[in-house]
Amino acid sequence: MPKITIDNKEIDFTQGQTIIQAAEAASIDIPHFCWHSALSVSGNCRVCLVEVEKMPKLVIACSTLATDGMVVSSQSEKTLSARSAVMEFILINHPLDCPICDEAGDCKLQNYTYKHSNGESRFIESKNSKDKRVALGPNVMFDGERCISCSRCIRFCDEIVGEKQLTFVKRGDRVTISTFPGKELDNDYSMNVIDICPVGALTSRDFRFTSRVWEMSSTKSICSGCSKGCNIDVWVRNNQILRLTPRQNDAVNNFWMCDEGRLNTFKHINADTRINGPQVRRDGALSKVTWDEAFSAAASELKAFSKDEIGFVGSPQATNEDNFLFSKFVKSNFGIKNLTFFKHIIPGTADSLLQKEDKSPNSFGAELAGIKPSKDGYDFASLLSAINSHKIKALYILEDSNILEIPEIESYLSKLDLLIVHSVNSSVLTQRANIVFPAASYAEKNGTWINCDGIIQRIRPAVTTQEIDRSLDGFSMSRLDKFGTEYDRWNQTAKVDARPSWKILCGLMTVFGQKQKFSIVEEVFSEMSNTIPSLNGIDYSSIGDLGIKVSLKSPIPATIEGKH
Amino acid sequence: MNTNYANKNRLKDLTFWQKIYVPEIIKGLSVTMKNMFKPNFTLQYPEEKFIQPDSYRGRPVLVQEENNIERCVACGLCARVCPALAIEVQANETESEKERYPEKFEINMLRCIFCGFCEEVCPEEAIIMSKDYELVFRVREDAIYSKDKLLVPVKDLQDRINYLREFKG
Amino acid sequence: MNDFVFYTVVTLIKLVAFVSVIFLSVAYLVYFERKIAAWAQNRVGPNRVGPLGLLQPFADVLKLTLKEDIVPDAANKTMHTLAPMISIFVAFSTYAVIPVGPDITVFGRTISLSLAPGINIGVLYVLALTSIGVYAITFAGWSSGSKYSLLGGIRSSAQMISYEISMGFSIAGVIMLASSLQMDEIVKSQHGWMWNAIVQPIGFITFVVSSFAETNRLPFDLPEAEPELVGGYHTEYSSMKFAAFFLAEYANMLIASAMIVTLYLGGWQFPYAETFNISPMLLVGLQIGAFVLKMVAVLFFFIWVRWSLPRFRYDQLMDIGWKVMFPLSLINLLWVAIVTMFMK
Ligand code: SF4
Ligand code: SF4
Ligand code: SF4
Ligand code: SF4
Repeated sequence: MPKITIDNKEIDFTQGQTIIQAAEAASIDIPHFCWHSALSVSGNCRVCLVEVEKMPKLVIACSTLATDGMVVSSQSEKTLSARSAVMEFILINHPLDCPICDEAGDCKLQNYTYKHSNGESRFIESKNSKDKRVALGPNVMFDGERCISCSRCIRFCDEIVGEKQLTFVKRGDRVTISTFPGKELDNDYSMNVIDICPVGALTSRDFRFTSRVWEMSSTKSICSGCSKGCNIDVWVRNNQILRLTPRQNDAVNNFWMCDEGRLNTFKHINADTRINGPQVRRDGALSKVTWDEAFSAAASELKAFSKDEIGFVGSPQATNEDNFLFSKFVKSNFGIKNLTFFKHIIPGTADSLLQKEDKSPNSFGAELAGIKPSKDGYDFASLLSAINSHKIKALYILEDSNILEIPEIESYLSKLDLLIVHSVNSSVLTQRANIVFPAASYAEKNGTWINCDGIIQRIRPAVTTQEIDRSLDGFSMSRLDKFGTEYDRWNQTAKVDARPSWKILCGLMTVFGQKQKFSIVEEVFSEMSNTIPSLNGIDYSSIGDLGIKVSLKSPIPATIEGKH
Repeated sequence: MNTNYANKNRLKDLTFWQKIYVPEIIKGLSVTMKNMFKPNFTLQYPEEKFIQPDSYRGRPVLVQEENNIERCVACGLCARVCPALAIEVQANETESEKERYPEKFEINMLRCIFCGFCEEVCPEEAIIMSKDYELVFRVREDAIYSKDKLLVPVKDLQDRINYLREFKG
Repeated sequence: MNDFVFYTVVTLIKLVAFVSVIFLSVAYLVYFERKIAAWAQNRVGPNRVGPLGLLQPFADVLKLTLKEDIVPDAANKTMHTLAPMISIFVAFSTYAVIPVGPDITVFGRTISLSLAPGINIGVLYVLALTSIGVYAITFAGWSSGSKYSLLGGIRSSAQMISYEISMGFSIAGVIMLASSLQMDEIVKSQHGWMWNAIVQPIGFITFVVSSFAETNRLPFDLPEAEPELVGGYHTEYSSMKFAAFFLAEYANMLIASAMIVTLYLGGWQFPYAETFNISPMLLVGLQIGAFVLKMVAVLFFFIWVRWSLPRFRYDQLMDIGWKVMFPLSLINLLWVAIVTMFMK
C-alpha cells in the first residue's frame, strides 16, 4: 500500500485519494470550507493549503492527489501563516453578524477564526453590502453578506439532488448565490444546504431564530417519515423538539435527509392534541381515568367478545419491542388469527436518493416481531371487509396514525362495537374509540426500528413524559437541564402522561394474569433476540449509533439504494 | 511590622508587661474608649442613600434606544455566560434592520448574583449593570423581571456606558 | 398603727419598687449594652423603635413572648422548665440584702433602704444564692439533650466553682476590716475615702475579675461562646424561657456591680457628705444618687470590657482562676491582716 506522511505521521492511503481524504481517513483535520466528502472538489476557499516537501509552493490538500512517499505538513510555519492570511481574506467582507446569526456556536467560519486566524483585520474600508434575508425557496433563507462563496450549496443541488437550482451570479467581490429567475430552491432535499453551508448564509425558515444550538440537547434518533430510516439528531429545549437534523450514516442516509421528514415528523409531539392520560368512554363521552382503571376496563370489554370477533392491528410506526409484546399478548390470549398491520404505501413517492413509498419506519420490524395473521386469519384488507360485514366487532389498534389515510375509515370504525387504541395524538380514531391509551411518541422512548434495507437502528428518548426523568433515565442534557432545578421555569413545561406501548401492554397482560417481568425495554429486546432467529446475538450495544444489518428470512423487496 | 504571627504568639516571646496583661487590657480599653468619640460610619439607609460609583454593579438592565426599541439582538450570549442561569432569552424575527429581537427577555433576580458577566459578554452593549440595588418582592414570580421592568432609556445609563468604554476598551 | 402592719406595708412597697426598678434597669441595661457596643464600633445602635430607639427593649420583650416555646425531644422536660426558673429566682432574691442608702426616719419610725435589713449574714447570703445559680446553668445544659448545651453547662459550673474561691477570699478581706457580715456595717466601715478599693486594691481586682467570671461576661463568657457552642447552655431555649436566662444574666450583672459598689466602693456613701451641713432628706437623696452613680460607672465598665477584650481560652481561664486569682486573694488576706493589726 502506498504511504504518505502527514505531520510526521505515516499513513496508508488508496491510490486516487487526495491529501485531504487521506488525512481524514487518519483523523487528521485539515481545515476546509468548500471541500465536502460527499461532493465534488471545487478548490476555491484555499483554507486547506498545506506544505508539501519538494514542491515550490503550497498546494491545496483537497485537490492534490496523494502520492507514495509524499511528505505533507499542515502545521508548518508557512502553512499556518498562509492559512491565517486566507482567513483574513475571507473575513474582509464577512459581516460582524454572529450575534444575530443562527449559525453562531456551530459555525465553521467562527471556529476557524478562533483557531486559525490572528483575530486582527487590516481592512479599514467599509465592507461590501449585499442582499440579506432573501427567501431562496419555501424553506431556505439566504443572507448574501455572510456567504463565503464556497459553492457547496450549488454542488449539492447539482450532484446529489440532480436539480440545478442554484448558481453564482456576478463576479469578483459582488458574487452571490441566486436561483434562476422565477424559480425557487424547492427540491425535496433543499434544506440540506443549510447543514452543509459552512457559514450562516443559508438558514432554515422554520427554525430561524428559535434557539441557540448550545441551549438545546441533541439526541441520536431515527426519522419516522418513511421506511428509509434516516439517522437524525433530535434537538430539544425546554422539553420541546425544535428541529431535526440529519446525522451521518453512510449505510443509510449518508449526510442527508428530506425536507418532508425534517419538517413534518416532530411537530405533533409538541402539539396540543397530545393525549394526556388514559381515557375510557362512559355514557357516550371519553373521560380520563387512572391507568389501572383503563387496564381493567380494556380487559373486561375484550373478554365480552369471542376470539374470532376481535381484530388486532399492530403498527409499523411502533417499535419492534412494542409489536413483539403485542403479538405475545394476542397470541397468548386470543390466538393469532386476526393479527395484522396496515402498510402505508403511497405509490410514486419514492426517488433515487432517500425517500421511499412505504411511509412507515418499521414495516419490516412489525412483521419480524410477529405481526402477521395465521393462515385462516384476516389480512388487513379482508379485516376491513370483515368489519363491514360485522364479522369483526371489536378492534384493538396499536399506535398507528397512518390508518387515518384509509379512505372512508370512519365508516368502518362506526360499525365497530369496541375500539381500543394506543395513540399519541387525538384523531378520528381516538374520537371513535372506547378506550384510549396514551402512547409515548418515538421521541419519548427507547426502542428499535428496522428500515427498508433490513438495518436495525435505535431510537432514543429526547422528550420526557410524566413517567420518565431526564437525568435519571440517561437522556442527553443541555446546560439548562444539567444545572437547572425543577423549580426553574424552563423545567415547568407540562409533561404528558403517556407510556410506551410495551409498558401499556405489560400492564394489560398483568390484568390478564400474565405478569411480565420486564422493567426496561432492553429486556424486551433480549427476549426478542432470543426468540427471533434473525435477531440472535444482537443487543442494544451492538446496534450502537449506526445500526446493524439483520438477516431477514423473507426476501427484502427491491429497494433503490441511496447514493453514498 | 512583624507579620510572623506563629512565632509572636508563643508565650516566651512576650515581654514581661505583656505577660502581666493588665497594661494590655488598658490599651485595649483605651482603643474602644477613643472610638466612642469618633464619628459614625452608619448611613441611615431608607432616608440616606449612598452614591454609587460608576463601577457599581446593581441589577442588570436592558438598554432602550431613543426609538423605544431595545438594543438587544437576542444573541443569547448573556444567557450562556450567566453562571447562575438567571437569564432566559427567546429570540424572534423583526422587520427592522437588526433582524432579530428578544421576544421574551427575563432575568430571574432570585438567581442573579450581580457578577456582571452578562454585561461583559454582550456584543451590543445592550445589557448594562445599573445602579439600582433595591429589589424587593413578595412572591417568587415577581422576582422574574421581564422586558417591561428591564428596559431603561439609554440616557439614564450613560454614566456606566462611559465607564465601560473607558475601562473595557 | 402597730409596727407589724406598718413594716409589712413598707416592705411590700419596697418590694414592688425594687422589682420594677430591677426590671426596668435590666431592660435598659440591654439597650445600653447595644448602644455602647455601637459607639465603640462607630455605629449608631438601636434607633428605630421609639425616639432614639428607647422602646427597643419593649419591642424585644414583645417579640420574645410571641415566639414559639420549643422543647427538644431529647430534653428532660421538668429540668428544662425548672432551670430558667431557678436562674431568675436566684438573680432577684439576691437583691434583698443590698442597701441603696442609709436608714431614714418616717413617721418616727426608722426604715432601712434595703429589702431585708439587718440580716447579719448578708454577705454569706449573697454568696450562697449565687452558688445556686450554678445549678440553673448546669441543669439547663444537662437537661437540653444537646451537646452544645451540655458543654456550656459543664464549663459554666467549672468556671463558677473555680472563681467562687478567689471571690470568697477577697470578700474575707472585706469582712475582716468591717468585722461584720452585715451589708450596712460593711458600707459604714468605709467612711470617708476609706473605700476598700483603696485600702485593699489587690482584693478589689480579684473580686472584680471573679465577678466577671461569675456573671459569665466577656472575657469569661466561655459557657456561651458562640463560635464554639452556638448558645452554650441556652442553645435549646426559646421564647420566655430564653428570656428568663437573658434577664437573669443582666440581673446578675446588676448584682455584681451592686456588690462591687457595696463592698469596695463605699456603697451609698458620698465621701464626707455628713459634714456638708445639708438637710437630712437632701443627704439621703445625695447618698442614693451616689449609689446609683457608682452602679452606673461599674456597669459601664462591665459593658466597656465586653466590647474591648477577647475571650480567654478554657485552659487560660482555669490558669488564671487557680494560679493567679487564688494566690492573689490569699496575698490580699495577708495584707488586710497586717493592716488590721496595725490599725487596731
Ligand atoms: S456565519 Fe458564522 S462567522 Fe458569519 S456571522 Fe454567522 S456565525 Fe458569525
Ligand atoms: S451559501 Fe453557504 S454553501 Fe452556498 S456558497 Fe455561500 S457559503 Fe457556500
Ligand atoms: S448578550 Fe446582549 S445582545 Fe445578546 S441577548 Fe444578551 S443582552 Fe441581548
Ligand atoms: S449579573 Fe451575572 S448572574 Fe446576574 S444576570 Fe448577569 S451574568 Fe447572570
